[in-house]
Amino acid sequence: MASVDSENRTGAQEAIPQAVKIIVAGGFGAGKTTLVGAVSEITPLSTEEVMTEAGYGVDDLSGVEAKSTTTVALDFGRITINQDIVLYLFGTPGQDRFWFMWDELAEGALGAVVLADTRRLDTCFHAVDFFERRQVPFVVAVNRFDGATAYETDEVREALDISAHVPVLMADARERGSAKDVLVRLVTHVIDGRRPALSG
Amino acid sequence: MNAEGRHARRPERDTFDRTGAFKGRATEEAVENERFLRPYAIDAGTAEPDIVPGRASGPVDLDLLSLVVAARTPGPAEWLRPEREAILAHALHARTVAEIAAEIRLPVGQVRGMVAAMIAEGALQRCGPSRPLERQDILHAVLVGLRSL
Repeated sequence: MASVDSENRTGAQEAIPQAVKIIVAGGFGAGKTTLVGAVSEITPLSTEEVMTEAGYGVDDLSGVEAKSTTTVALDFGRITINQDIVLYLFGTPGQDRFWFMWDELAEGALGAVVLADTRRLDTCFHAVDFFERRQVPFVVAVNRFDGATAYETDEVREALDISAHVPVLMADARERGSAKDVLVRLVTHVIDGRRPALSG
Repeated sequence: MNAEGRHARRPERDTFDRTGAFKGRATEEAVENERFLRPYAIDAGTAEPDIVPGRASGPVDLDLLSLVVAARTPGPAEWLRPEREAILAHALHARTVAEIAAEIRLPVGQVRGMVAAMIAEGALQRCGPSRPLERQDILHAVLVGLRSL
């Protein structure tokens, strides 16, 4: 009945860019959205995912009646790299229980930034673990908060038990230049990691 | 009808015998809630009946960055479906599922369901990049782009 409409394709003529993404992870309040906003060409957009709590670890899905739902905010920004590539920066949901979203976010991501808050370093353990396990290349950016004790990057590296090849750098998520440096460092790290090792 | 015995359909509540009364009570609430479901929720539900939020599922494998574009202008299929009409309006140019969800202010899971249904019926078209690039080329281009920010 419905015929395949092949000639009338609205928008088929325009150049369609490739959409790629970088993940910005970290504990709640670590400055993820701030960092995204600092470099995004648009005010960070926000969408939400409705998740069904009872869907996890509960086998009987025959009825919907016992499920309770929670919404998870998902913030993202955009940087048009050139006419062929648009980069999206996704902030991960802060709470650990929303792992299912991390899986999707990590899928195909160029890499990830783990924002560390030195006042609550433990909040980024999960992110570090996750990206290591999923083999998503990442850098750790130590967000400088006013009033927080200044730590050396080595101290943070040690505290988080991050392997030597993972870059750890200081950052100010509010500063565009600083946020940009973090992303540049990440992409450089990703490119370096993909190069075949020359040393035997 | 019930008098006909074997022809009568088992009422839905009979399926709850495994878990007993609690489920029956919860169902009453669910039925009550159902009256207030907005059409898009039903819409999205039918497109991906077994959707696990956050995971690509269903016949059309869509993720947050899947690009879609309107294949036609809003028509009778969108009457009384303002959400679908909004999706078409926002997809005049190729847009990602995430952007559409943010713009029409609906949960991305629901939008994903509606977009999948709209692709299936031909209102939206999925699109891939005009110039597919190798990962390495993408990385180098992104590096150049970021440095020039």
